[in-house]
Amino acid sequence: MSISVLEALAYFKKPALVVFGGVAGFVVGIWVNSTYFDDATPIQPIEFSHRIHAGENEIPCQYCHVYAARTPVAGVPSVEKCMGCHRSVATDKPEIIKVAQYFADRKPIPWIKVYDVPDFVHFTHKRHIKAGLECATCHGPVDTMDRITRQQPLRMPWCVDCHTSKEVENGRDCWTCHK
Amino acid sequence: MSTALEKFKKYRKPGYYDKFDYHWTMSIDLDRCTGCEACVVACQAENNLPIVGEQQFAMRREIKWIRIERYWEGEYPDIKLQFIPMLCQHCDQAPCEIACPVFATYHNQDGLNTQVYNRCIGTRTCAVYCPYEVRFFNWFTYEWDEPLEQQLNPDVTVREKGVMEKCTFCIQRIRQAKDAAKDDSRRRVRDGEIKPACVQSCPTEAMVFGDLNDPDSQVSKMARNPRGYHVLEELNTTPSIVYLKRVHTDG
Repeated sequence: MSISVLEALAYFKKPALVVFGGVAGFVVGIWVNSTYFDDATPIQPIEFSHRIHAGENEIPCQYCHVYAARTPVAGVPSVEKCMGCHRSVATDKPEIIKVAQYFADRKPIPWIKVYDVPDFVHFTHKRHIKAGLECATCHGPVDTMDRITRQQPLRMPWCVDCHTSKEVENGRDCWTCHK
Repeated sequence: MSTALEKFKKYRKPGYYDKFDYHWTMSIDLDRCTGCEACVVACQAENNLPIVGEQQFAMRREIKWIRIERYWEGEYPDIKLQFIPMLCQHCDQAPCEIACPVFATYHNQDGLNTQVYNRCIGTRTCAVYCPYEVRFFNWFTYEWDEPLEQQLNPDVTVREKGVMEKCTFCIQRIRQAKDAAKDDSRRRVRDGEIKPACVQSCPTEAMVFGDLNDPDSQVSKMARNPRGYHVLEELNTTPSIVYLKRVHTDG
């Protein structure tokens, strides 16, 4: 009695195809996801351009992100803040009409957070700005970006590297940043 | 591996803790404690402690970072009731710190015995080693019913399943006070500036919190009180909490 290897292979043909197709689909999916749906560069509800505001018009960061030097969070400006200028500036542009609509509906703009740290991390903008860090150190050249791209990994080694090289007081204690 | 061992040896060397900036300490005057459990409730609200439910409670899985222990002294009719608020003693030579295989619990530069939730792998060895039984394990990921989640403290992590937790001396408030001190370009936090939730809520002001390194702080004065003692002192854990003995004047 002889056992043919080919016979056994024929038996596995269908599952092998399914597995191969699955793996190929998975790889293609990851590629599509990372190329077109990059979470470092999310598509915002309004095509707000930092290049125009911070770059061409040279508006200081803290004109809109008012809480950066005072509180842990930098603060996304209110719709009212947008409308403060855009009641009279560029009111005919389609994106500004969208902003005006949010303002009329009394609803906040559902911005997508680009720089988000996990809930177990205590990060405060105030301390970092008072330590003399520039916004661009972490956020990159925002004044050249139309759509904001995350510049830094926001992972613990990145935090600890900086705390170590700058010799931050108690900068490597777990409970300085974790909560 | 050798470096980790060296670090560990240095860390356990006597006198290592003397270099600390602060030495956070609490004194609890048992003469003043009425056992009202306001501290228990305050702690629950401040630190996002879950309600484990009746069934889990019966299995002794309740989570209370501070609890009021009740003792009866003497025989009827000469009977006296005594309360002792029991919370993490933040021992300088903490048994739990030796126990942890992943260094999730360690002593930080302020003399606090801290627990890093992210690092904890849930062996529960620390809870076994702790003679005060003040470490609590999250057996499940507990949830808050609809409106209650709104009162969660954003400065404190909501712990998940498989993580050990314990009193932190309200480290978020310590952090906040230090932050304020830095803003005022003060080197140190003022005495009485930090009040953990339990201290703040105590109606009889039985609890005092402060820095033991500062000889003029209120808690240092309390610690020098002849009534002062540590719980289970004979175990040589050198706790950071000083209890002031209750004095019965009627004999």
